Amino acid sequence: MNLPTDVKPASGAEGKMARRDWILLPFLALLTITLISVCAELVARRTFSESATSLESCLVLTDPASGVRGIPNSVCWEKSPESPLVEYRLDGAGYRSGMEYGPKSPGTYRIVMIGSSLAMGERVPFEGTLAALLPVELSRRSARKIELYNEAMAYGFARNAALRFQDALRAQPDLILWVLTPLDVERAGFTYVKDSFNKPAASDSPIASLKNAILKGIRERGGSIVVGNALRHWLYEFQSQRQYIRSFLLNRPDEGEAGFLKGQLSPQWQAHVSEFDSYAADIEQQAKAAGVPFVATFAPNRVQAAMISLGEWPPGFDPYQLDRTLRSIVTSHGGTYIDILPDFRTLLGPEHLYYPLDGHPDAQGQAVLAELLAKQLAGGAIPELKASTSSMAGSSQRN
Amino acid sequence: MDSASIQFVLFGLATALISNVSRSRSWRSMVLFLASIIFLAFLSHYPLAFVPLAGFLLLGYGGLLVVGRAGSRWLVASVLTVIFAYAWLKKYTVLPEAIFLQFPYLTVGLSYIFFRVLHLIIDTGGGERQHLGPGAYLLYMLNFTTLVSGPIQRYEDFSRDQFAAEPIELGPRVVGLQLERIVRGFFKVNILAMLLHALQEDAVAQLVQPSPPALKVYAAVRLAVVYPFFLYANFSGYIDIVIAMARLMRLRLPENFNRPFSASSVLDFWNQWHMTLSNWLKTYVYNPLLIALMRRISAVEMEPLLGVFCFFVTFFLIGIWHGRTSEFIMFGFLTGSGMSINKLWQLGLIRAKGRKGYRALAMNPAYVSFGRGLNYAWFSFTLFWFWSDWAQIGRIYQALPAFEWLGVWLTVCVAVTVVLASWERLRAALLSIKSAQGPVLTSRYARVIYASALALTAFVVSILLNQPAPDIVYKAF
Repeated sequence: MNLPTDVKPASGAEGKMARRDWILLPFLALLTITLISVCAELVARRTFSESATSLESCLVLTDPASGVRGIPNSVCWEKSPESPLVEYRLDGAGYRSGMEYGPKSPGTYRIVMIGSSLAMGERVPFEGTLAALLPVELSRRSARKIELYNEAMAYGFARNAALRFQDALRAQPDLILWVLTPLDVERAGFTYVKDSFNKPAASDSPIASLKNAILKGIRERGGSIVVGNALRHWLYEFQSQRQYIRSFLLNRPDEGEAGFLKGQLSPQWQAHVSEFDSYAADIEQQAKAAGVPFVATFAPNRVQAAMISLGEWPPGFDPYQLDRTLRSIVTSHGGTYIDILPDFRTLLGPEHLYYPLDGHPDAQGQAVLAELLAKQLAGGAIPELKASTSSMAGSSQRN
Repeated sequence: MDSASIQFVLFGLATALISNVSRSRSWRSMVLFLASIIFLAFLSHYPLAFVPLAGFLLLGYGGLLVVGRAGSRWLVASVLTVIFAYAWLKKYTVLPEAIFLQFPYLTVGLSYIFFRVLHLIIDTGGGERQHLGPGAYLLYMLNFTTLVSGPIQRYEDFSRDQFAAEPIELGPRVVGLQLERIVRGFFKVNILAMLLHALQEDAVAQLVQPSPPALKVYAAVRLAVVYPFFLYANFSGYIDIVIAMARLMRLRLPENFNRPFSASSVLDFWNQWHMTLSNWLKTYVYNPLLIALMRRISAVEMEPLLGVFCFFVTFFLIGIWHGRTSEFIMFGFLTGSGMSINKLWQLGLIRAKGRKGYRALAMNPAYVSFGRGLNYAWFSFTLFWFWSDWAQIGRIYQALPAFEWLGVWLTVCVAVTVVLASWERLRAALLSIKSAQGPVLTSRYARVIYASALALTAFVVSILLNQPAPDIVYKAF
């Protein structure tokens, strides 16, 4: 609506403001701002609620001998702001395996999956996780019975995966599948320190520093403000792919979430890669010694998926860089590497398969990952899982 | 410092504050000049990048002096030289590439300086102006509130306010109104346009990537509906900010928009959209061309058709002013054609129904509503050559069969007709709620409430997204 925005030169009472307006107008402004803020916060708290319990109550976080591990036969629930309420039911060995640990039945091909929170299916009910969907999809494609024992664990980055690797071998696998994420490399040598994932965003801009100081002050006095996260969630979901990539790469420092997307990895990221390499070598050696085929794959994070789907990125960036590096590491130690990244080129808006703030894939994202992984595993990378002709025909009909 | 960013707004407010320290015209001019130089310095860090712009300004002033001294004899030569220099610096593809400067340089604001230079030279050649000193010339040309994307202000209007011995009033009401306008403009550019741009980009992606046909049709409708609104929010938001900033410096800039989507014909639309550009072209192209043609062709029955032809030429030029590529030639052709066809339709109706009958029809609410929808759909269609290139347009149009595109444009036309008609009714109803002082919705209390809400939203979203302010589309021209 166009409103008149200029006035004729002041003449008499018309040009002057009534004395009461000097109080009333600022009061109205303040009241409006307060009302909107309070209402928005109340709505956000309802829709973006968080459970009092969390997955961490099912975990032993600080055992130096085994790294992070699950408490056997424990059950806990967690609702993060963006996810539904999710149950985590750990088996007798302390894993969210989804199956009873025991000897293999004859003719069954057993995959043991290792990895961190993404592979564990964090923020997603078990029936929607990679661990639940992948064996079904693989069985359909390969026309043989496949079971998957999931030993992935929250914070199960490379060092923790290496510490618990004997568990994977004890499960009598026909194949070990390591699902990697950028965090598995960046935090390769991770040992648990409380709140180490919650550091405030570093920034040298005065506005961002002021914002951080205000938010810190409010947090210290009245608890966290939910509306900010709710708005960010909504805005990130609403942004176009191009806008999202642009703002993400601009706002994130070189390290962390965007550092591995650089065409030339920084010295810090090279150090992360080198540390990851040593754990990968250890894990793959153990697998080789046990005579178990070892396969690794890399699942992109939200912005990386968006960049690949869009097919263009700013100069100096390359979303495939870390993928290539990991391939060379895994294959140099004798493992097989399967590459699902190129398949993201054909996905429309794959960033919507992730929780925008949390960064984990949602149930739809887990389903897409299962589909892409099954396609690659049954596509000839693993001869035992190669798709049979009849199932291929069924698959192409379905597609 | 991006246009329409929070830094730009703070810079403008600080300049206004300093400018108001004294009412003397020399103080206000010095502050405006220094602020404009500082603003320019933010646009590039390389001194060499400013050289072509400085050269163009010098050429313009030279032309002005020559025409001022030698009279209209040198007018045509001066105008043509300025046009050539502009096309050369903007690297119009009609010129051979070999003659272009091969180093990066600043062209931001050049298009608007071009209009101001031509306006000065033509008016001086016509004997309408006294000598203009270099200080006043530079201040008029580089005024940072009009430099980047207009509005195109006439020198007389600029000097009337800027060099007035007694500057125009700036009471608390005016300050309040301008602050509210800045908030509104900032919200339009940084929030509304950003969200609409996201919709547009998603629609394009959905059209050119593999997706189900029904989704593609939906994407095409969204694309056609969204872009004109985006452009309006982006450009008019920026104009709101600079007009309000200038007013706080006691300088009145001309309005550039007047509820353009309420226009019920293409002819009306261009009287309400980028008004300073169409007014400039009407003054310096349409009118002189029409007069010249009427002098040559004296047949009375040809007069209306000459007007149609002049409309085409004028609005074709508007199109090609926007850019140097063939896409903008097409945009100009379509815009000019739209104006001419609309004029012919008007003439045909007058002939068929008589002036009275035509006037009655033009007042008919259904006719007006449908005219709005049709104008919007046509504008949106022409804008494809404005925001896209031939390759992308090809991909977009290949995404759907021709008959589905026809359906898309019909849907857009009907949907916009209904939405805009409903909006006009709602607006009228809201404005009819009145107190003794006038409509409640335009009272200072209502303004404070919604400006506070917009300011809060804009501030929070800007802080949360922490992304650079979106580019002003017209900054590129």
